[in-house]
Amino acid sequence: MSTNIISKPAGKVNEVYDWVDERLGLSELMAFARHKTVPVHSQSFWYYWGGISLFLFLVQCFTGVLLLVYYRPGAEAYESVRQITFVMHFGWLIRSAHAWSANLMIFAILVHMFSVYFMKAYRKPREFGWLSGMALLGIASVFGFSGYLLPMDELSYFATKVGLEIPSAIPWIGPAIASMLRGGPEVGEFTVQRFFALHVVVLPALFVPLLAFHLWLVQRYGNAAPPSVESLPASERKSMPFFPNFLRKDLAMWLISLNVLALLASVFPWALGKQADSLVPAPAGIHPEWYFMSPFEMLKVLGNILPGEAGEIAGLLLFTLGIALWILIPFYDTGKASGQKARAAHYFGLLAVVLLLSTTVIGYWATR
Amino acid sequence: MNYPFWDIPILGSGWVIGLIAIFHVMISQFAVGGGFYLPLAEKKALAMGDAKMREAWLAQLVHHSKFFLILTGVFGTVSGVGIWFAIGLTHPEATSTLIHNFVFGWAIEWVFFVVELTTAAVYYYTWNKIDAKLHLVVGWVYAGASLCTLIIINGILTFMLTPGDTWISVAGTGHEASKFWNAFFNPTYWPSLCLRVCVCASLAGIWALITASRIDGDKQPALKSSLVKWSVKWLVPSFVAMPFLMIWYYMMVPASQQALLALGIDTIGSGTFSVVTRMALVIIVTSATIVGVAYYLAYRNPVDFNLSHAIAVLLLALMATGAGEYSREMLRKPFVIGRWMYSNGVRVPYVARINQEGYLAHSNWVWGSTGVGGTSATNYSRGEAIFRGECGSCHTLNGYRPLTQLLEGRDRANIGNFISMLHDNKADSPYHKFMPPMVGTKQDEDDLAEFLSAQVNPPAAQKGVQTAMVQK
Repeated sequence: MSTNIISKPAGKVNEVYDWVDERLGLSELMAFARHKTVPVHSQSFWYYWGGISLFLFLVQCFTGVLLLVYYRPGAEAYESVRQITFVMHFGWLIRSAHAWSANLMIFAILVHMFSVYFMKAYRKPREFGWLSGMALLGIASVFGFSGYLLPMDELSYFATKVGLEIPSAIPWIGPAIASMLRGGPEVGEFTVQRFFALHVVVLPALFVPLLAFHLWLVQRYGNAAPPSVESLPASERKSMPFFPNFLRKDLAMWLISLNVLALLASVFPWALGKQADSLVPAPAGIHPEWYFMSPFEMLKVLGNILPGEAGEIAGLLLFTLGIALWILIPFYDTGKASGQKARAAHYFGLLAVVLLLSTTVIGYWATR
Repeated sequence: MNYPFWDIPILGSGWVIGLIAIFHVMISQFAVGGGFYLPLAEKKALAMGDAKMREAWLAQLVHHSKFFLILTGVFGTVSGVGIWFAIGLTHPEATSTLIHNFVFGWAIEWVFFVVELTTAAVYYYTWNKIDAKLHLVVGWVYAGASLCTLIIINGILTFMLTPGDTWISVAGTGHEASKFWNAFFNPTYWPSLCLRVCVCASLAGIWALITASRIDGDKQPALKSSLVKWSVKWLVPSFVAMPFLMIWYYMMVPASQQALLALGIDTIGSGTFSVVTRMALVIIVTSATIVGVAYYLAYRNPVDFNLSHAIAVLLLALMATGAGEYSREMLRKPFVIGRWMYSNGVRVPYVARINQEGYLAHSNWVWGSTGVGGTSATNYSRGEAIFRGECGSCHTLNGYRPLTQLLEGRDRANIGNFISMLHDNKADSPYHKFMPPMVGTKQDEDDLAEFLSAQVNPPAAQKGVQTAMVQK
């Protein structure tokens, strides 16, 4: 395995470094970072997806702030997005980057989550890492849902309207929750203002500290190796220093992600549909974005099996149960060595992947 | 007009050239850059004091030259010929002009191709069989021949964008070939050549990373480390010189084409030609970051650098190359040969004549009046024939740049007005910068409008609208 001796920069740079180090304790940070190692094995590729998710979140913050300069929530929402897309210099690029990065970020988080799951990196002592990660995924989903409405074009209006039918289906309290989210009986300019506040203030305030906690846990406990690697004797296990080896490769992955994003944003710029009109019927085949397609389709299927309110309640219950089992997996599969519970957890994971993929595909097929 | 129309549904015939050409450029520019990489690497190896390292390097270069021979000699050659077939079918008018001008230049290029292929084979098959110095000479002969092929084709390619005032002054007189050298060494020749040489060097390094990544880092760490690091260095000239060369290239492009670059700055609206701006952004981002990716993935971790890393770098290079070639092609709009021939094959000086006589009057392949009563022998309408001839080189109906989508929401009258606007081609028309004028008589305009309207507003929908209006 390659080793890198970190040599301090020479001359004047050295003096500056020493001055800063004395006051901020950079050497301690470097020692901490050097202390951490990253396992090297055939599945090491999956370790980059957390970093890719983080990079895409940083892109969201950067492009989001730029959009914030020109976006006007409320009655002028659509017009402000129209100006950003068709009038401002490179406004279309910032908007496209923001929209594509949102989708890529959720994709990266899902890949990261599944790779953590199948590597059983939720086991002791990483339970909080798993739980905080699930909370981050939840917040990211709400980021996506709230941001989707902000342009107030036909697609975003009706997709939000359909999406809000899910919380309103919760027995007894559902309609009240949906009304609170909408800011009234119907999706309109008040909804946009609420979603905007949620998207740029409330969610970031929740997300950032949770993310910092999540990253601290990763630094504290390091990356978990798959059970097959962990069972090897220490002499046969390979690793590389987190700093600077893994970090360099992580940076390279960030640059590759940037290129993928640039390609998508430039070649497939995000369109703006017609302005939302609450008086016209929903376009045929309206559906939520791909990351909500699976629950949307699952609820539809269950609604066909058990029509009416029973179907809605059954669907919600089943879905909630599935998510709860998923979140609580660290408390079920706690063993170090592979056993019955470990295998069951593995198959549960495979079932989840198959279910998610199949219902997403079926959902899109059904809307053709 | 003078040739049959090659109808490729969905993709459009232009993309047949594009896909083959981008594939070809990735390999052929490796052939040029790699042609220098191999003898330079061999020379470096022979000069090494450490005998073990020297032998390891030379053994690796044997592998690399085999890879080089197969990739360039087979795939490069086949795709190069593929371009010939594709351009002849897609745009025979432009190809005819190029052949009439450059046939002997092209023939010379083929001589260099023969030298290239021969020396590549000799270089590979005579490893350790002939004297090392002679082997190096073979390598250098290959490099020179390969560079000459680039020197020649670059003249023909750049001529299409900037034929130059001298050639334009004799175009159409029958004396075009007398200005061969003016056309060859046209305004964008030198910046384009410098740009391509830099890209060739980069591709040499990138393709070398593919073979170097397959060295077992555990068994031969020193070899892998030195080869990977040396290969990454081949990207540096391109990274340093590219911004300046691109500015130089941009300055030599005519102002009317420069303006295309700005069209996509503030909008991506339907019907706007924003693609050049967008592709330029891809080129800039990819070119700027590929060195960083190669540095962090390969240069600083050479022993761990594996094939998937190398393929990631190669894919970035493909993105940059593809975006570069695509935007170069788009920068030529509305011409296929600047100031002489529009994208649809209509020659600029003939527009007035065609407007008088009609587009189909000289389009026997597209609309031959051999049927009874002056009808066409073909089985489609005049409107469709005009669409195929005048619009089909850049648009499809339902695929690439789909006209059904671009004209969506317009009724028959609106489409007719739109075509009239294209026909008049006034300087303040928003389409003037990137679209050829619609040429033909009033009857041609009406026939084209009728055809397009039938595609955009199919008869069933039209009947529905009429019924709804009656009910109101």
